[in-house]
Amino acid sequence: MTVAQIVFILLTIVGLGAAFLVVTTRNLFHAALYLIASFFAVSGFYVLLEAGFFAAVQFLVYIGAISILFIFATMLTRTVRGMVPRNSQWQAALFIAVVLFVAMVVMFSPISFSLPTRSDRTFGGVDWQFAEVLGKPGVLRSVPDSSILDFGRALSDLNQYGIALLLSGVLLLIGMIGAIWVARERKPREILAERARMAAEEASEAARQSVGTKIPDVVVAHDSHH
Amino acid sequence: MDIINNLVKNLGDGIAAGIYGALGQGLAADILIMVIAAIAVFAVASGGFAGLTYAERKIVARIQDRVGPNQAGPYGILQPIADAVKLFTKEDTTPAEADFWVYNLAPIIVAVFATLTFTVVPFAPGVVGTNLNIGAFYIIAIGSASTIAILMAGWGSNNKYSLLGAFRTVAQLVGYEVPMLLNMLPVIMLTGSMSLVDIIERQAGWNGSWGLPFIVILPLSGLAFLISGIAEAGRSPFDLLEAESEIVAGFHVEYSGMKFGLIMMGEYMNALGVAVMFSVLFLGGYAGPILPPYLWLVLKAFGVFLVLMWLRGTLPRVRIDQLLNMNWKFFVPLSVVNLILVMILGKVFVSDPALFKANGGILIQPLAQALIMGASSFVLLMIALAIVTRRVRKDRMAEARILLQRRETNQQIAASVH
Amino acid sequence: MLNGIPLYWYLIVAAAMFCIGLYGALARTNAIAVLMGVELMLNAVNINLLAFWRYLTPESPAGLAFAAFVFIVAAAEAAVGLALIISVYRNMNSIDPEKLDLMKL
Repeated sequence: MTVAQIVFILLTIVGLGAAFLVVTTRNLFHAALYLIASFFAVSGFYVLLEAGFFAAVQFLVYIGAISILFIFATMLTRTVRGMVPRNSQWQAALFIAVVLFVAMVVMFSPISFSLPTRSDRTFGGVDWQFAEVLGKPGVLRSVPDSSILDFGRALSDLNQYGIALLLSGVLLLIGMIGAIWVARERKPREILAERARMAAEEASEAARQSVGTKIPDVVVAHDSHH
Repeated sequence: MDIINNLVKNLGDGIAAGIYGALGQGLAADILIMVIAAIAVFAVASGGFAGLTYAERKIVARIQDRVGPNQAGPYGILQPIADAVKLFTKEDTTPAEADFWVYNLAPIIVAVFATLTFTVVPFAPGVVGTNLNIGAFYIIAIGSASTIAILMAGWGSNNKYSLLGAFRTVAQLVGYEVPMLLNMLPVIMLTGSMSLVDIIERQAGWNGSWGLPFIVILPLSGLAFLISGIAEAGRSPFDLLEAESEIVAGFHVEYSGMKFGLIMMGEYMNALGVAVMFSVLFLGGYAGPILPPYLWLVLKAFGVFLVLMWLRGTLPRVRIDQLLNMNWKFFVPLSVVNLILVMILGKVFVSDPALFKANGGILIQPLAQALIMGASSFVLLMIALAIVTRRVRKDRMAEARILLQRRETNQQIAASVH
Repeated sequence: MLNGIPLYWYLIVAAAMFCIGLYGALARTNAIAVLMGVELMLNAVNINLLAFWRYLTPESPAGLAFAAFVFIVAAAEAAVGLALIISVYRNMNSIDPEKLDLMKL
């Protein structure tokens, strides 16, 4: 048992335990905190995978920004102390999740369930019997020292990923403007106008439904009398 | 001379050799050395914290024309110990209906994340906790994670004023991370690496010749980084959130005793971390002519902290909306323009012959390039300040005009009544 | 085997986190909790990407670039999603996905 294996198992317990608590707890603020714990564990996985830069990015982006967004949204929608019970379709969701997990484990790991199709592992045209997948030692290459430098060069080179980077910048800009506009503070006059418009829409919707599925001129004349 | 210069390094090497000799080269020895190193870094940071609380109270007192604590020991030297004893002997309360784990975990997280910044700071050549190749970025990431602890403290206190204070604090902290990161970028660009050791080495010797601290080449970035760092650390004049004279003391109103002590320690470590970061990034860290390196770092960090204390004693507090306006409408655009300016100048005026052959530009001496960048940063700072002062003056004149009009109408009304 | 950890350990952990996130996204009555499930799924995908990068092509920056873009898109999507939730809450006073059925026939 190497140190890395022990650390991996600890991180798995923390990460998956916290993830499980996120989806089962009834208190939304606690769910946000458990989510932060699972982000922490994922950051630890990145460190084990020798992608230290992404461990720091995970901290900065997920724990430092997205978690705070979640907590602010929780406070602003005032359902913290309310229950977050299970859905009406939770049994189906549980079934799907379990089936999917079992399928993925069977496909991607050497854990065999004595299924006859396991002898042929060319799934999707790819031979999954990589030595690395099955855990045979000695085939692993090491990360070059200049990996961050190469990554940076690839992101800035217009022939490689530069255009994708510029597009993601535009995406973030649009997201930012959209989020600010959608969630902006509305003046009282604006709020009243919105509510009046929605009430009028609901009234016409109810009138249309009570008459039936056809849309005759009678309904239009009926509406104009109001 | 060499012994004094490398005192810390030799001490560390000696201890390591002793442990390896006793326990062999295995895992146990490695873990023991790491634990001792962690305790040493924590001891240095905590010792700094204790000394700095005392120094701050004395210096701010002198600025305010009073004496400061002088009862506990000669010249009040034992005041930090008295403070610690007081905090330990206070009752450990938890508010009713507060979330126990959230409330009690928050001060620990604040203190821990604030101390983690000292693990990548190089104290002397060869004396560094971990020479991460993403050292500068790691510090920003750790700083951003401690904002969660403040939200936990605010929410776990079961107190709506505490929650509001936590929201304002988080808005300020999250906002000022952006100019901090944007102003660290020119330094990283000029060095070519995010590792703090590389940054200091770059300032110590520029292309093998004599060195130049980055504050000369990038004065605007340094200034903006320092101001954003002061806002990040929540120190005056940006301490509306947790100052003692505010009606509700912010997110830590429900904390007392050692939990409050931990939060305060976290804040001081944050401030000390900002001072150390500024001296590493812009002032040259442990590089310096005559004195041993660790003394240089202590002197520079303490000098920057002195500036922080000076600002605290001198400037009035900034209101939270003025603060956030200043961040998003002044600092962020200024930092972006500064970044673009440094990028363009770095490409146009190259000092490395290999880069000149590859990309073209104007080939000049390194010193000339440094001075051109410094001068243009300074010009940009002056332009920005001129724009801002002119706009502020216009706003203030408009306000004064409105007030004057109102006073005239009031006087007319009063005169017509009589 | 990196330090004794074969690749399929990472794949199993990522699969588990993905399925937990999937359950969360499908079986919760609060839209913010649904978004938390989505974030868990995105994290699981990132673990997968970086694990494959490290074990199969560690010298190429392609895996890192892909993971970086997943980070960026996840952040943008979380921000816009939460803004929409706040706006929906203001108009409908409820963020239960089962009750928000204005667009149903």
